[in-house]
Amino acid sequence: MPKAELQGALELLVLKSLRRGPNHGFAIASYIQQASDDVLRVEAGSLYPALHRMTEAGLISAGWQVTDAGRRARVYAITAKGRRKLDADGKRWQAVAMAVARILRAT
Amino acid sequence: MGVWSRLVRTFRAGHHDADIEEELQFHLDMDVVDGRSRREARLRLGNVARIHEETREAGILEWLDSVLRDIRFGWRQLRRTPGLSSAVVLSLAIGIGANAAIFTLVDAALLRPLPVTDPDSLRLVVWTSTGFPPGADNINGQYEPIAGDRYQGAAVPAYVYRRLAREQSAHGDLIGFGAETDAIAIAAEGRPAEQVRMQYVSANFFQALGAPPVYGRPFSDDDDRVGGEPVVVVSHRYWMNQLGGRSDALDRAVRVNSVPVRVVGVAPPRFYGLRAGEWPDVFAPLATKVAFQPNRSPDAPRGEDDRNWWVRQIVRLSPEESEAAATIDLAARFRAVAVPEGMNVEPGAIPELAVLPGRHGLDGLNRDEADALWILMRLVGVVLLVVCVNVANLLLSRGVGRQRESAVRLALGAARSRLLRQHLLESALLALLGGIGGLLVGSMFARGIHQLFETGRDASNAFDLRLDPRVLVYTAGLSILTAVLFGLVPALRASRADLNDVLKAQAKAVKSGLPRLPRVLVSIQIALCLGALVAAGLLGRSLERLRATDIGFDRHNLAYASVSPSRAGYSADRIEEYVDRVKSELARLPGVVRVSPVQTRLLSGGGNHASLNVPGRPYQPGVGAHLNSVGEEFLETVGIPLMAGRMVRPGDVHPDSEAVVVDELFVKQFFPNGSPLGRRFGIGPKESRRFEIVGVAGNSRYNSLRNAPVPNFYVPYHPGGTVHFAIRTAVDATAMAESVRRTIAAVDPTVPLTEFHTQSGLIDRQLRTERLLSFVSAAFGLVALTLAAVGLAGLLAYLVARRTNEIGVRMALGAASGDVIRMVLHDSMSMVIAGLLLGIPCAYAMGRSLRATLFQLEPMDPLTAALSFGVLLSVALAAAWVPARRAATINPIAALREE
Repeated sequence: MPKAELQGALELLVLKSLRRGPNHGFAIASYIQQASDDVLRVEAGSLYPALHRMTEAGLISAGWQVTDAGRRARVYAITAKGRRKLDADGKRWQAVAMAVARILRAT
Repeated sequence: MGVWSRLVRTFRAGHHDADIEEELQFHLDMDVVDGRSRREARLRLGNVARIHEETREAGILEWLDSVLRDIRFGWRQLRRTPGLSSAVVLSLAIGIGANAAIFTLVDAALLRPLPVTDPDSLRLVVWTSTGFPPGADNINGQYEPIAGDRYQGAAVPAYVYRRLAREQSAHGDLIGFGAETDAIAIAAEGRPAEQVRMQYVSANFFQALGAPPVYGRPFSDDDDRVGGEPVVVVSHRYWMNQLGGRSDALDRAVRVNSVPVRVVGVAPPRFYGLRAGEWPDVFAPLATKVAFQPNRSPDAPRGEDDRNWWVRQIVRLSPEESEAAATIDLAARFRAVAVPEGMNVEPGAIPELAVLPGRHGLDGLNRDEADALWILMRLVGVVLLVVCVNVANLLLSRGVGRQRESAVRLALGAARSRLLRQHLLESALLALLGGIGGLLVGSMFARGIHQLFETGRDASNAFDLRLDPRVLVYTAGLSILTAVLFGLVPALRASRADLNDVLKAQAKAVKSGLPRLPRVLVSIQIALCLGALVAAGLLGRSLERLRATDIGFDRHNLAYASVSPSRAGYSADRIEEYVDRVKSELARLPGVVRVSPVQTRLLSGGGNHASLNVPGRPYQPGVGAHLNSVGEEFLETVGIPLMAGRMVRPGDVHPDSEAVVVDELFVKQFFPNGSPLGRRFGIGPKESRRFEIVGVAGNSRYNSLRNAPVPNFYVPYHPGGTVHFAIRTAVDATAMAESVRRTIAAVDPTVPLTEFHTQSGLIDRQLRTERLLSFVSAAFGLVALTLAAVGLAGLLAYLVARRTNEIGVRMALGAASGDVIRMVLHDSMSMVIAGLLLGIPCAYAMGRSLRATLFQLEPMDPLTAALSFGVLLSVALAAAWVPARRAATINPIAALREE
């Protein structure tokens, strides 16, 4: 798959994970890994550039918060624009994925 | 890291290295908390430095991308409202252009330093004295009373300069140059002679100023010797235009006042000399004055004469010496040589040397002209204010129109900062376009105003006009300031917009009318406009009054042709014969009615004033009359009536007696009792019987329209340096120029026609400052008026559009269209009246600042004030009428259905 598509997929996953509530980078990565039953592992090297890019693009917003453990963490939250993107692109992605799966199943 | 990303990083919070660092460290620590060892966690994270770098770049790239998107979006937004956008750009272009133009002129004439190396170390050398310095017969250039009973002059005899310069050379350079430039006739090989200005300079002139010739060589001490081969340096302009810009033009034979000279150098392209607005084409060593301007009569002052004070000096201070020490030193040496040896003079009568800042060289403009430029600067500032208010209002109403869009974008999750940025970007885009337009308008304006300013001046009078970096910075500063200032208010408003409020406001709309700010802005605009109109009115009426001044003769169909036969080598006795021949040849031309030689052209700005010695009256220096030397038919030629007696004739001149004609004012002032005919008077303290009155002429203006009339008297014609012929024509005098030139060339080709002016042209030249002020202030007034009208009409149109519903309801409930019109007009008039009231002090201040420039007019001239008031009021009414009409034609059904 072309790089842009992969990047798009990562953005979708980030948005999806933030739909549950604001969170920091490590938690986003952990969530994606757990929710995919360890299939998808998000490298820090892809995650943080993506988070910063998405912040600038206005899909998510970022701010510093103090965690329960008393540490400062950079926490991201989904914006209205991000929500709309998740809805629109999520549907498209599902359609594409299903179509690909159908073709692969056919013998 | 590149400069750009460094710059961006400074402005972009969130992508700071420290932030990213902390974020990645947190990631690592969380992994450890999850139960991994620190080493394992580090391995899982990967290359921290690279992640760091990529994260930062991702943020910055996205930011840049979004700015570009915003610009594209902004551009599309601007194009969606082409009328409004072009109105903003146009107003900005006019406002900035006018300012850039006037600033260019002020810069060239008053602000820019001399085109030489280190102008700050230059000092003008002047002297003060209690009267005419002992031993001086003639002082060129400045000599005027200053504080106390002292006078200030600048010129010294050539020998004084040479001695001082020799002694000075140990300290720094003392540069000498002619206090005034001289008109000369120059002829390149195979070309007819033409008149240009020449500047005499010392041998060290170009070297010491740091402006060495671009071709050839500067002068050397050998060149500055009486009797040596005459050499000249020409201006770059003359070299390009007349010598073809060829390097072999050097050493080509050229004639100056019929003397063969060698061109040894070409001055740098932008080197105009030491006085802004005067651009000599030829530079020659001081000593060549003797060769170029031979004596006309044995007792006339010569170039090297001790009694002729004509060399000005400028000194370059050396960095080692303090200014005070250098001045004291120079002053002491000047005291030792200022008075000729052997002359017994009281110590108090010796002129005292002083120095003045030399950064700008000699004053390029006289006081009136400099004042005029500052007046224009003020006026153009008012125009800029009107423009800014206009732009602010346009942008505001644009912002209001987009409130809905902003609110929706905010509600959909756009960051407020993004919205603010979007608005600022759009106004910056407008400002940029306006600034570019302003530069174009400005350079055109500057040229036009320069031409107006120069009308009638010598061809070699020009300012070095250019849009240099200072003008660019000034213009860019103006446009950025306008954009930021007036983009900010609507931007802040828009970013604060609350969707609920906006949508609710849309629904309830009606009664609220308009926010207060735009109304206040329109009032301010009208107030400023009143100021501009009053200024234009005062200056225009002042000019009219000057033009309507009774000059005592007929200014139409009258021209003057000027020649300088002495420059072509004519001796005194041959000149008379030459003048007679030219006079009769000119008189024969078809269309010419009468011709008479005259020494001083009327109202040409120059002339002679004589202190009169009338028997029986105490002699007072300075009390006297203007003196003109005229041909027998002069009065008839210009149209001054002869009231009594007869006209003077060439035969009236005797060794110690001369017949004269005086005018009625002269009689009233000096011979109030009995017939003046046959009475005698003299000039100067010593003699009182030289002149015998043989006739009385009508009063006329001699050299000033502005000052109170001064008596005149006329003596028989005797040719001086330049010979002017007054020519009365039956047709338009302007049309005679070519045939007059040909006739004069036919009499003697070596004597060119140096000047040809109509009398009206000379009067216009006298009034050039007033004409410039009147024309430009009228143009500015018109611009201000147009902008105010556009501002008012635009605001009302917007108001009507917003109140469509309300008006529809009113009309449905039975309001007549007249009521609606009245309602809108009433609304607008409250703004206009507030503006007019606000404008009264504004106009008064404007009038006060013009006081010195006005001619027989009070700053609060009632007619001007009433006219400005009336014009502004009717234009405002007309501007309000259009939207009012539109309101009245609203279809109530359609308006209500829109709901």
